[in-house]
Amino acid sequence: MSWKAVSNPILSIAKAFAVLLLVIWSLGPIYWAFATSVTPSNEIISKSLRLWPAHATLEHYAKLLGAASTAHGNEVQSVWPQFRAAMINSIVTSGLATIVTVAIAAFGAYAFVRLRFPGRNILFALVVATMAIPAYTVMIPLYRLMISLNLIDTYLGITLIYVSAFLPLALWLMRTVYEAMPLSLEEAAWLDGAGRLYTLVAIVLPLAAPGLIAAAILTFLNAWGQFIVPLVFSPTLASKSLTVLIPEFATRSNIDYGLMNAAGILAIIPPVALVIFLNRYLVSGLMAGAQK
Amino acid sequence: MASQSGLRTRKPYRRDETILAFAFIVPIIVIMGGLVFGPLVNTVVDSFYRIDPMQPGEPFIGLKNYTRLIADGDVQTSWANSAFYVVLAVVAETLIGLGMALLLNRVRLGRKWLLAIAVLPWCLPPVVNAIVWMWIYHPNYGLLNQVLMSLGVINEAVVWSNDRIGGLVMVTLVHVWRMAPLTAIILLAALQSVPGELYEAAKLDGAGPLRSFQQVTLPLISGGLAIALSQSTVFAFNLFDEAWIMGGASLGTRSVIIQTYLSAFQDLRFSYGMALSLLAMIASLLVSLIYVAKVSRDTRMG
Repeated sequence: MSWKAVSNPILSIAKAFAVLLLVIWSLGPIYWAFATSVTPSNEIISKSLRLWPAHATLEHYAKLLGAASTAHGNEVQSVWPQFRAAMINSIVTSGLATIVTVAIAAFGAYAFVRLRFPGRNILFALVVATMAIPAYTVMIPLYRLMISLNLIDTYLGITLIYVSAFLPLALWLMRTVYEAMPLSLEEAAWLDGAGRLYTLVAIVLPLAAPGLIAAAILTFLNAWGQFIVPLVFSPTLASKSLTVLIPEFATRSNIDYGLMNAAGILAIIPPVALVIFLNRYLVSGLMAGAQK
Repeated sequence: MASQSGLRTRKPYRRDETILAFAFIVPIIVIMGGLVFGPLVNTVVDSFYRIDPMQPGEPFIGLKNYTRLIADGDVQTSWANSAFYVVLAVVAETLIGLGMALLLNRVRLGRKWLLAIAVLPWCLPPVVNAIVWMWIYHPNYGLLNQVLMSLGVINEAVVWSNDRIGGLVMVTLVHVWRMAPLTAIILLAALQSVPGELYEAAKLDGAGPLRSFQQVTLPLISGGLAIALSQSTVFAFNLFDEAWIMGGASLGTRSVIIQTYLSAFQDLRFSYGMALSLLAMIASLLVSLIYVAKVSRDTRMG
């Protein structure tokens, strides 16, 4: 703590005000999206400020998740089949990318920290340096490559691109985790005759669990929010993600903000759940990732 | 760490250890080599050719892609837009992030939850953020106009996207909302490594809060500041999602990356887009290197 401010009432009030400001800044837009998503369409187009709808409704969620619905007396085709397909695509590609990235990083980073082999430092430096290269730089040749491999619009293609984009950060994170671990535990296991692979799987990985969780969260969040990769590599609902589908709900003439906000709220459930339940790992991961 | 192991690496490599290590890193070599380094080399080489699915042949054209890029008015506009995004986003993220970090560092009660709340915007898909903010900005029914009008700041609804600067600021604000938490976390990590005794010493020397911030805090978090600045710069240079959702292909909010996307995937001029994406990468790397060099020099002198 810096200079002792606790005794100064003006500073305490200023601090409380700052906390309030931070909470409104961070949560205000999310709250507003939620309030809009339960506001009936006729109330949405109201010019007066109302922080909660007079008649809360689930009509927008019903449109997303239900069968056919009616609007102005006309039957409207349900968007549920599209929404469901995109949701499954997002879950599958983000989940696969997370599992593959963390698995490769868990073993790879161990090699970079504990095993000696020629070219170790240069290889690690090269991989980590790609964090500074925006994924967009390589996207055009990647597109041609994916076409020639027949991987456009497939789970495998999207997953591989995500892994190549998010692996450097996971490797970096896992290296700091292994470096902080005492070597003595592994040495004791080796003295007992345990092999290196066995030691890694049975002793090191369980101890590295918090780091693995942090790497998994960061990879999942990055993959879940990705937009330009699916925009280019997922032309159809075979692998199109929620982030690409939701903006398509807006037509040139009309943006249904109730529907869009409801879709947005559903799309942020996984990230919000991660922040609520695994915040400790997320923050420690971000902090470790930031220290160079 | 590197120097420590460097001292020990005088012994010859053990064969079984090397084999195990390569077994562990083969997936890394294959994926990074095939999907990042290969395409990167491709980008550099192909930018000297005319690769254009709509035209026959792929002739070598030297620097023509680059000279055309310099003369292209749309490309110039997109550079100007990106420069605007970078300057405004980096300044805003650093100020807001620093404010958040200083606050979080002093809050003790419920700090874990305040941290979670602060980080939340960074965790959300940028596309969703852009949609939510577009609705907030809505001229007739948006929250921003309604709040400002009920507070009496403005008398009638403002169409925020009416002029070019307005459109750019709107996009930047959404980006800053998402990225400021990252700066805050990086600076908070740096702040927590400042030993408390230094503040006590500064106080004994009669330093007020401002001087103690300038002379104790700032020099000690300068490393974190350099990282935060580089991160903000790289991300602002690569701004795509927010600008694409809010402005689409419109020239007023078009960033360099949107221009690259349009050149490659709508005009189908692949190598033209590759040349532009390379220039964007070089620009963002150069700007971040400047911070790192400047901050590390300032720290040594201070």
